[in-house]
Amino acid sequence: MADAKKLAEQLKKLNELRGPVTQALRDRVAAQNKAQKAVLDALGSGPKTVPELAAASGLSHDKALWYVAALRKYGKVEDVPGKGDYPKYTLKGGAAK
Amino acid sequence: MNDIEKIEVDALVVGSGIAGLQSALDLADQGYSVAIVEKNPSIGGKMISLSKVFPTLDCASCITTPRMASVSHHPRIQTLTYSTVDAIKREGKTFTAAVTRKPRYIGEKECISCKRCEEVCPVLLPDEYEQGMGAKKTISIPFTNAIPQFPVMHPEHCIRCGACAKACPKDCIEFLQEPAPVEIKAKAVILATGYETTPMTAKKQYGLGALPNVLSPMAAERLLAPHGPYGRVLRPSDGKVPGSIAYVQCAGSRDKSIGVPYCSRVCCMYAIKQAILLSGSLPIADITIYYMDIRAFGKGYEQFYNNARAMGINFVKAKVARVTEDAEHNPIVRIERQEGTSAPEEVKHDLVVLSQGLVPGCDGTAFGLGVQNNDFGFVQLSDEMVSSAVTAGAGVFAAGTVKGPRDIPDSVVDAGAAAMEAVSYMRKL
Repeated sequence: MADAKKLAEQLKKLNELRGPVTQALRDRVAAQNKAQKAVLDALGSGPKTVPELAAASGLSHDKALWYVAALRKYGKVEDVPGKGDYPKYTLKGGAAK
Repeated sequence: MNDIEKIEVDALVVGSGIAGLQSALDLADQGYSVAIVEKNPSIGGKMISLSKVFPTLDCASCITTPRMASVSHHPRIQTLTYSTVDAIKREGKTFTAAVTRKPRYIGEKECISCKRCEEVCPVLLPDEYEQGMGAKKTISIPFTNAIPQFPVMHPEHCIRCGACAKACPKDCIEFLQEPAPVEIKAKAVILATGYETTPMTAKKQYGLGALPNVLSPMAAERLLAPHGPYGRVLRPSDGKVPGSIAYVQCAGSRDKSIGVPYCSRVCCMYAIKQAILLSGSLPIADITIYYMDIRAFGKGYEQFYNNARAMGINFVKAKVARVTEDAEHNPIVRIERQEGTSAPEEVKHDLVVLSQGLVPGCDGTAFGLGVQNNDFGFVQLSDEMVSSAVTAGAGVFAAGTVKGPRDIPDSVVDAGAAAMEAVSYMRKL
């Protein structure tokens, strides 16, 4: 684990060298966090397809799929086995109510 | 700059796709020392991201990863990944290459590839390895079977929260890392810089890359890969399992209007391969290939094509004039059949793949070593009838698709030829 003081010094120097983190990047990360939370909240009420997730989270269909793919890759979401035009996704470990 | 890293080897190989890997192995196994320089964070080139190869349907990574591992563990091969060759100068009988190791922002000697930095990083980015269909983090290991397994940080997307550094058990995050110059001296150079596919934006009639369900063949490879972005074949606009998929052949080759008049040699076969794989993953899907003519010229290729026909892949001899989409992002392909009725018609599909051609990955003349390009920007051989690797630059050899489009078996064979020619040249020095 990094020494907190050394890390703070490195990050401070980085700000001096490259300037502060841009507002655009901060906004992008805030939007990502909001979108991920919206997807996870929507899945909290039960398995959903991408169009259902998009409707519940307010994301566009392609964005909803991208976030589901991201959350699936990082172990928060898993596929629901089954057939149909639109596969369903659920919270990993069956955390859905 | 007194402590610049210096490497002295017999041969420098630029590029670590299948041709570069094979050349390096063929040289090293004959006792020659090799430095292999790769601009990406992992060796393996395009081939490592493919799902399977034609016509055997062998898994691509099952063929590539053993070679990648052999190269990275070979006692006579030094591998420089995430590094660029900035210049190569000829000085007498040796070449001196100026190489820059780009910063990964981690200490490679300490890193144990535990991925904890990636797990805690809060910023998502489109993953270019998955052609943007999947996500990665601002600090992440490039892909599952990347070699080396080191994460790379993209500082322009870093919010400097320090989470990665706090999570790292080896304390090896180095936010202030700088590019490091390396000097490589070698007696021979093998260019194996490969190809790029024709850009999706090449043709305005095909949507300029703006239609979400019109994919590049590399994206289709990732959809078909078992560890692809969705883990199954879905279309990117809405996660639907596509019921109707079309391939547009010659979408980036044999087309003077985009400056690619030549045949790219592999598109017919990769489209047939992908169609066969798709029909395995999606047994009830309709798969159509719109083609000018099918060029199945290699060993077993015609049989492969006939098998695809027998499996029910729909081959339609037609030129695709235009690809548009409807309100649900269903691609609409406007075709003119060249057999039977020739009236134009519009066909709706769920997913369309543009069979893009192969264009040069990098300019072989950029280093000014006497190497010349042909009319299409690929490296020109000095006498194609005599050797498949000798360029006009003494001591500079070409391997794989840097010389022009070719498939994987051909690339492997002539990578061996390039290694042979390099050895023959070095023995005469």
